[in-house]
Amino acid sequence: MPVDRARLHRALNPKTVVVVGDKGPNFQWITNCAEFTGNLYSVQLDEKEAAGIEAKGIKNFRSLMEIPGEVDLVICAVPRNVAPFIVADAVKKQVGGMAMFTSGFVETTEPIGIELQGKIVTMANEGGMPLVGPNCMGVYNRRLGVKFMAGQQKGEGGAISIVSQSGTHGIGMTMGAQRLGVPVTRTISIGNAAVLNEADYLEYLLDDPETPAIAMYLEGIRAGRRFFELLREGTKKKPVIIWRGGRTRAGARAVKSHTASLASDDAVWMALMRQCGAISTESLEDTIETIAALVHTPKSSKKNMALVAMTGGQSVAITDQFERAGFEVPELSDSSYQRLGEFFVTIGGSYRNPFDASSTIGRESDNLQKILEILADDPAIEGVAIELQTRDFEKSTERLDGMLDLMKQYRDKTGQPVVGLIPTGGGMGDQEEIGSKARVHVSNAGFPVYPSFRSGATALGRVRAYYEELEARTK
Amino acid sequence: MPDVIATARKQRRTLLSEVEAKDLLAEAGIPVARAILAKGQKASVEAAESVGYPVVMKIVSPDIAHKSDVGGVTLGLKDAKSVRKAYKEMLARVAEAAPNAKIAGVAIQNMAPQGIEVIVGATTDPQFGPVMMFGLGGVFVEVLKDVAFRIVPLEARDASQMVREIKGLPILQGARGAQPADLPALEALIVQVSQFVAAHPDIAELDLNPVFSYPDGALAVDARIVLASA
Repeated sequence: MPVDRARLHRALNPKTVVVVGDKGPNFQWITNCAEFTGNLYSVQLDEKEAAGIEAKGIKNFRSLMEIPGEVDLVICAVPRNVAPFIVADAVKKQVGGMAMFTSGFVETTEPIGIELQGKIVTMANEGGMPLVGPNCMGVYNRRLGVKFMAGQQKGEGGAISIVSQSGTHGIGMTMGAQRLGVPVTRTISIGNAAVLNEADYLEYLLDDPETPAIAMYLEGIRAGRRFFELLREGTKKKPVIIWRGGRTRAGARAVKSHTASLASDDAVWMALMRQCGAISTESLEDTIETIAALVHTPKSSKKNMALVAMTGGQSVAITDQFERAGFEVPELSDSSYQRLGEFFVTIGGSYRNPFDASSTIGRESDNLQKILEILADDPAIEGVAIELQTRDFEKSTERLDGMLDLMKQYRDKTGQPVVGLIPTGGGMGDQEEIGSKARVHVSNAGFPVYPSFRSGATALGRVRAYYEELEARTK
Repeated sequence: MPDVIATARKQRRTLLSEVEAKDLLAEAGIPVARAILAKGQKASVEAAESVGYPVVMKIVSPDIAHKSDVGGVTLGLKDAKSVRKAYKEMLARVAEAAPNAKIAGVAIQNMAPQGIEVIVGATTDPQFGPVMMFGLGGVFVEVLKDVAFRIVPLEARDASQMVREIKGLPILQGARGAQPADLPALEALIVQVSQFVAAHPDIAELDLNPVFSYPDGALAVDARIVLASA
């Protein structure tokens, strides 16, 4: 049945939220929503729990029907046997929608679980009420401070929205994106997707002006045909990253022809991703790293990279990875070589592209400025990846900040992607603990930064390929 | 032309005969080596004269899935005399190998000149509906599974990507001094089959195997169509 878009919008952008069935000692749902900007109420019949809720300054009611005014979002955390009663009240109350944390439904494969879910779905559909879940973490909205994890940030201006069939991966993607300096507009944990399915959420987010890009973790696809059609058009409007789990599972199908015997679930999925111009990722890290490349680089389909590494061996390794990911590492112009030759330390160094630059940059950070100025003037170069040294980082961030300033100047001047690389173990034997702190620092400065050449090249390569495909499809 | 899908439905068949499948494809403007159903030696010769020599003769029976296993395929028949002889011998062989099979006759088609063998197919994905496949024929599809897929409906761009996505592409581009295949003709055929499948939701599976790819054009030589269970 078609989704009531206005009601879904209310549920995902609520002014009034009611938590039904929260429990001590933590009262996790109420606690998570401590920063919520709207009205937060509770429904709890258990008097002991109700007292604990009131003690937290949240008004408690005995039923949804008693709450004055409109309710936009109900967070349902009651046991499964009680859930149908809450749904009935919510339908009667004409709430915007419901996020159902309650589990124990079809995922158990028990007859009682299947029957209860069927009941809930029928009631929600007949009442025209959007229902997120069940068996999910619900909805996060950054601007309004509706959260399902205390660590989810509150603030303006998200750069991506996340949909996840798994609650764990929804949290992992959100927290991971935040760690890489990416604000998340909203996260929707869709669980069993019994009433609203992945196509419904995709459609909403494609039209959502607060959502500049979309990342999804999916396993099964319920409305495959609609999902395909939405995705095919949608990626022309905004980038969509999809990490699909369970891809190797063999599909059960009756096979009578050659074609059918070869059309595995995975083969068809990869064809769909390519045909729709979506960005396909393969793991949580891959997804987060691709999000960072997407959000922290200017749109570019260009291939020619300048690669600045800190040793000879690293300059070979970085080149291998970027070429493998579809980039090219061109020679510079004669005038660039002439200018570089004036100051570059060539004993234990090289500036052919890739650069082996530790002797040059290590002594004088002014030299990085000179290198970047020359690269900015060279028409052969369309993007830069720099291995960042962290050896003084623990004492002071000054040196790294100086490099980040230069990278920012380069990016502002050229409009090209600039990527930082702080490899685990490091070319110069830096310690991982310092490396991870430095990566957080670089992320917060708004640059994509990676713990290996391979992951950086892969992430940037996926994003580049998206823009190349987009240009070909929209020209 | 009789509605072959309705006929098959009425007879509770999901497998179309080669003649039926090719009629349906030809009607949609897809380049196929047409086959004519003939019963008897005289009709076989008439059919051969209408499609032009040399011809291929194949047994037509709803009970026989693998024609060559029962001696039901004869190639390179050059004249009326050899057609008559081939008909008599084929029916005798099949009667011995598959005594209970109901024989509708034989399919006579012009023997197309050899081209590069490719496969163009369609199947129904349980999640995404009709899906198209393209690959090189023979060992490339059987062993290496070097094929590309797209979801129906395809745009011209999708067909172009499919043809270029397979690892065996250099073979189509004219490896070892051979003349390059007409890739635009293959792409056009793929798009036509996509439109054909979209227009016939009854079709669950389709194999054009092989399609002969020529320096100028492409031709589906064999066709197999399976309808969805009613």
